[in-house]
Amino acid sequence: MEENFLSLDDILLSQERLPVRTECVFPRLGFLEKSSDSQDIPEGTKMELPLWLSKGLYEKKRKVLSVELPKVYKEGWRTVFTADPNVVDLHKMGPYYYGLGSQMLHFDSPENPDIAKTLLQTFIGRFRRTMDSSQNAYNEDTSVLVGRLDCLEKVLFRSGQKGLNGFQSWEKGQASQLTASSLVLNYRKRKLVDVQA
Amino acid sequence: MDPSEVEFLAEKEFVKIIPNFSLDKIYLIGGDLGPFNPGLPVDVPVWLALNLKQRQKCRILPLEWMDVEKLEEIRELERKEDAFTPAPSPYYMELTKLLLNHASDNIPKADEIRTLVKDIWDTRIAKLRLSADSFIRQQEAHAQLDNLTLMEINTIREFLLDSLNCMYKLRSNLQPGSTKGQFADY
Repeated sequence: MEENFLSLDDILLSQERLPVRTECVFPRLGFLEKSSDSQDIPEGTKMELPLWLSKGLYEKKRKVLSVELPKVYKEGWRTVFTADPNVVDLHKMGPYYYGLGSQMLHFDSPENPDIAKTLLQTFIGRFRRTMDSSQNAYNEDTSVLVGRLDCLEKVLFRSGQKGLNGFQSWEKGQASQLTASSLVLNYRKRKLVDVQA
Repeated sequence: MDPSEVEFLAEKEFVKIIPNFSLDKIYLIGGDLGPFNPGLPVDVPVWLALNLKQRQKCRILPLEWMDVEKLEEIRELERKEDAFTPAPSPYYMELTKLLLNHASDNIPKADEIRTLVKDIWDTRIAKLRLSADSFIRQQEAHAQLDNLTLMEINTIREFLLDSLNCMYKLRSNLQPGSTKGQFADY
């Protein structure tokens, strides 16, 4: 999945931490690794690095570090997702389950095809629930419904709600009433001095 | 699209009215209307009919399908069939709302009609969701939307398009090689 430079969600996604293992010595970078006092990071250290850094350091030819799969994408959890994607709390697991999963495909791993397949199947399996809850929850507290959704699904939920709310307000005749634009509402009152100046 | 924009389009539909005034033919960009003679039925667009009705200058004749028996038939058919049956009018929801809100005194059994139309709408929306789900589940690339009305499509449009975009992205992950090309950019 491509990253969008301006998307706030994608920026937050790049901060997600990945478990990595260094494959060579990182001289004088010991301050990054809080657990030891040495000046360098020795080869074979297990540590966590943000996605953007691991992606930059990862190279296929010259091994600088190897990236391990976070446990949600491992075999064990994949079986859970295949069994019933609806019971999983993706917000707790992610909250960028789909986004991070797609990014994991950058790091060569024999499990990549399976991860990609599980991501798609999970989305498809959860689609009906996201659709029904977003199209039926009118005028009620949606935090319970939204709480277990991934960030990507939340965006979908919001667009579903927009369609529902638009239709309902039309049906109730609220659409024919003129309302002030949300932009105008934020304006402060003009001061007499400003007008005269 | 906003539902009120869909309603605006629906106002172009023609409806029969019986005016109680006389006026020569009027020439408009959209076509000529009239002449209006007291007691003689004439076809006018809904927006004009409602305007005249509000000024008590006409009586609106109910549309052909705005009839309890016909709507009951449509409702039964809609419940029986798995696919969408032809809607009574491409703007049935909008027209029902407009005419029943402004001219309920001219339409017999207005309340029953309102309930029936709402029933038909609910049945069709449930069907729409069911087919959207199976559409996603089977990972189809295109679907034929026969007999759907604009308002029905409009309620689900944004959600469905966003979902299809997400699904497309997740599906493009499946193709090996697509990730390698992107990786070179960093």
